Amino acid sequence: MTSDRAFFTPATLRLIAAAIIVVNGFFPAVWILLTSFKPELELVQKPITYLPQDFTVQNYVQVFAQQPLGLYLLNSVVVATASTIVTLVVSAFAAYAIARLRLRHRDLILAAIIASSTFPLVTLLVPIFETMRTLGILNTYPALILPYVVLSLPVCTLVLVSFFQSIPRDLENAAMIDGATRFGALWRVVVPLAAPGVFTAGILAFVNSWDEFLLALSLNSAVRMRTLPVGIALYQGEFTFPWHIISAALVIAIVPIAVLIALFQERVVGGLTAGGMKG
Amino acid sequence: MIARVRGVERFADPGERTLAALLLAPAAVLLALIVVYPIGKLVYNAFFDLRLSGGQHAPFVGFDNFASALQDGIFWNAVWVTVSITIISTIGALLVGLALALLANLPYRIQWPVRLALLLPWAMPLAFAGLIFAWFFNTDYGVVNDWLMRIGIAPRSWLLSPGTAYAAVCITLVWKSASFIALILLAGLQMIPRSLYEAAEVDGATRLQQFREVTLPLLVPSIVVALIFRTIAGLQTFDIPYTMTKGGPAHATQTLAMLIHDTTIDYGDIGYGSALAVLMFLLSMVVTALYLRRIQRD
Repeated sequence: MTSDRAFFTPATLRLIAAAIIVVNGFFPAVWILLTSFKPELELVQKPITYLPQDFTVQNYVQVFAQQPLGLYLLNSVVVATASTIVTLVVSAFAAYAIARLRLRHRDLILAAIIASSTFPLVTLLVPIFETMRTLGILNTYPALILPYVVLSLPVCTLVLVSFFQSIPRDLENAAMIDGATRFGALWRVVVPLAAPGVFTAGILAFVNSWDEFLLALSLNSAVRMRTLPVGIALYQGEFTFPWHIISAALVIAIVPIAVLIALFQERVVGGLTAGGMKG
Repeated sequence: MIARVRGVERFADPGERTLAALLLAPAAVLLALIVVYPIGKLVYNAFFDLRLSGGQHAPFVGFDNFASALQDGIFWNAVWVTVSITIISTIGALLVGLALALLANLPYRIQWPVRLALLLPWAMPLAFAGLIFAWFFNTDYGVVNDWLMRIGIAPRSWLLSPGTAYAAVCITLVWKSASFIALILLAGLQMIPRSLYEAAEVDGATRLQQFREVTLPLLVPSIVVALIFRTIAGLQTFDIPYTMTKGGPAHATQTLAMLIHDTTIDYGDIGYGSALAVLMFLLSMVVTALYLRRIQRD
């Protein structure tokens, strides 16, 4: 009994709890990292190995040589970056109007924007496909950028509305009394104070775009226009699913997003819960 | 009096309404192009025998597409798979997420490993989670069967038989979504005032009683939010079964989203696929209505 107590000190329990969370969160990523360093033959031997027995980086060389992974990476970066920037501009405009300006049906407008996020994307797939085909932009970057802006618009607007509301209106009024125009006050007072909110919203938008699969699969299916999730999911081996190549590709695709959230984790958590709590 | 106040306001900032309209315009245009118009077009398409490869003239067929859908066993199977996967994965993710949140709420000196461990599954694309778990559940070289053999259970062909493939998809969904739920519940836990626990302790409440009488009731709003988010996402399940099983074997993991995608994009049957989408739309509207009622209450 006493020895039990001595072992299960609060510190030990905390360590066990942390270990459970860390293993749950990291195990799949770590396992795919280990897999990526095993040669193809080691992946099809039994019993399976845990740590690489015959360590190699050949998979990383092959993945760029055999598959246009560099191109997929470029496509993902372009689409995610462009859609994030456009989302931020559009949602900051909307959020400022909702949070700050005299507006009829303020709540209704916000509710309409949020409601649009609950529509199943797949039901709108064909009409969006037809629209993009009519505009002649299937298999181009804008075909994904436009819907991705709409995808992130609700959560970004929600985050930014709450940020704008947290900035004292008096600061803005004071600037305007001092002779600043509304845009001057917006640019010099509101924007700097809202920067953390804009940044948080930006990360959420970037992750949304980076992760999206269904539209990327359906609208930009040409090999040269595939984003990372589609490109990797559609890898075909000559005989079997090429897990050694896939694992290296997955590592390369996960690292950017993992670094992003590792650097800005507090902001991401804040944004997620602000968006979530509001809803 | 009112008129005068209004007049003064207008004088103070004549362009405010115009400015608001201008600022909202880009969002309105995008929503019109990507959401509103497509909804209208979707409903319109559903009444025609429209093929992706077909000519200009698609015959009007009235409610035929809907009638075929309601008589189609594959449609009802997809409805069942979608609804049951949503319910199972939501309950599973809520339980796992609650456990993770309670563990993450302990007073750690170093916060970032725990936080990052909760964020990584959320940030990882669903398609990647599907691919990685497909590798876990690989019959010959997967780590799941390796664990099973180590504890003396016969390995299974997880993704090759209907029941186990369904289970594998559910497990993957739970892993992928539990972290997001944990983050929302963790924020809820951190808003509960410490004084409530101190008061309960003074009253002689045990840890379990504190959990039941203080934590759970105060966590209900966060749980509701998490449930709504998860349900909306669950009904749209596509990426994970697509990358793990392609909907098989024998339609065991074919969700509505997959059926619609396959019918329209792969087979080009736009009219019928649109009818399926309208039916799915109605299903999701029920959840959306609950969500909006929730927002209005806040």
